[in-house]
Amino acid sequence: MSIKGKAAIVGCGETPVDRQGQKPGEPGRSTAQYLSWAARLALEDAGLTLRDFDGQGLAALYTANYGQPFWPEEAAEILGVSPGLLMAGGNGGASAVSVLGQAAAAIHAGLVDLVLCVAASAPLAEPHSGVSAEDTRDFELPYGMMGPNSRIALVMRRHMYEYGTSLDHLGKLAVTARYHASLNPGAYLKEPITLEDYKSSRLIADPIRLLDCVMPANGGKAFILASAERARSLPKRPVYLLGFSEKDNPSYGPRSHSDPLVMGVREAGERAFAMAGVAHGDIDFLALYDDYVIIVLMQIEDLGFCRKGDTRFFETTDFSFQGELPIQTGGGIINCGQPSTAGGMVHILEAVRQLRGEGGKRQVKDAKIGLVTGLGAVAYGKNLGCTAVAILGNET
Amino acid sequence: MAEAIKPLPGITSLTRPFWEAAKGGTLTVQRCAACGAFVWCPRPRCTECGADRLEWTPVSGRGTVYSFTVIRQITQRSGDGFAGEIPYVVAWIDLEEGPRLCSNVVGCPADAVAIGMAVEVIFEEGGKDLWLPKFRPR
Repeated sequence: MSIKGKAAIVGCGETPVDRQGQKPGEPGRSTAQYLSWAARLALEDAGLTLRDFDGQGLAALYTANYGQPFWPEEAAEILGVSPGLLMAGGNGGASAVSVLGQAAAAIHAGLVDLVLCVAASAPLAEPHSGVSAEDTRDFELPYGMMGPNSRIALVMRRHMYEYGTSLDHLGKLAVTARYHASLNPGAYLKEPITLEDYKSSRLIADPIRLLDCVMPANGGKAFILASAERARSLPKRPVYLLGFSEKDNPSYGPRSHSDPLVMGVREAGERAFAMAGVAHGDIDFLALYDDYVIIVLMQIEDLGFCRKGDTRFFETTDFSFQGELPIQTGGGIINCGQPSTAGGMVHILEAVRQLRGEGGKRQVKDAKIGLVTGLGAVAYGKNLGCTAVAILGNET
Repeated sequence: MAEAIKPLPGITSLTRPFWEAAKGGTLTVQRCAACGAFVWCPRPRCTECGADRLEWTPVSGRGTVYSFTVIRQITQRSGDGFAGEIPYVVAWIDLEEGPRLCSNVVGCPADAVAIGMAVEVIFEEGGKDLWLPKFRPR
């Protein structure tokens, strides 16, 4: 008795992103303003009102820069809604996909009929008060570790060493994503780039370069999940959750020196495919969480679209929206901007657009099924600690 | 404007033995008396078998570079105190005993560091009475 096809996304909301607030005195919006704005857009898209959510589900994602310990309740207060079920995303960038699955389970269990999932962050307008070393960070920050950039740099260099992964392989993925962004009016970075632009972009945490990295931005995002029955009475074409799984704090080998070149999407993907009852060849596009380009490449391997270290696959495959394996059809988070954990919604929202046929100039022809991932929280000495995989489709 | 400082570890009852041993020039790692696994970072119980018999155990201090990054830009505020050291190397060191530690490779130019390089521990003073294990080529 799985949640396959039991719930559908019926509304999407996405504010524009910006980078205001970096200069003293520059006006910027607050996290609360983006949150409210994104929720309103999702309600309009779904043909619902806030009052429809009294007694229903609200899921709010904790963000990296906003240290409110009771954030989901605060989010309900900001929106002015009295939920019958309050859910929290605490998996970093994986939170959006994680709450999608958890909300579907709550709907299937009959707890609620609707869930509004919302996230917002304004890291540039409301910067947090600094990072203190604690827990495993006690054993990283005193050495000048620069957060995710340098952590993933360690993964990237070892992957290049083990498998011969080159800047050409990675650059191809970066160029393709930016090409898609150039066709997406909602993207932030829309100017096409060349392979040479990628390879010559400045080194930040060698071998991580500027064009490997996601860019922080202010913004808010939301989606609304409804029971399949309710979804069919609402105006937009339902996008059903067909498969879902997580793998959190994965360890490959002893936990004191786990293999960081394998990602949790390997097991999460297997289980999501099994629940959906679909095969790799049924997937029309991939929407892969992209904090860094190397992480996109590794997910394609670990989801089983090629074997590990198959560099030739990356040389010969067309990843564009017209190609045999379209990825990042809206440009990904790297080109749409990352409002902290709200960035994890970018791929869900793009997948819904594709499956509704709203992809405009970047529409994947006859798209029926898409695979979305969420990743979060880079663990000490490891790869990303939270992984979630969802398979979405426009038919049950 | 106050001079940027480097973050120091918050020392807890769990991690104090590690830092006390480091002050004395010894690198220690928790080892489970029940299953023999090394456990790193410090934990309350064994993360392999769940036993509560973790013992701080001196290790060789010898290892190899599993991977490394050369930091060329300060990208978060916790790193402001490192601005004067760019470029510097943050590495994952695989100890002979197994555990993988995050540290710096020092005592050679950044461009001399390579995956597989043999290294050994040294201790550098990071603050008052606080000594950080780092690694140099051996």
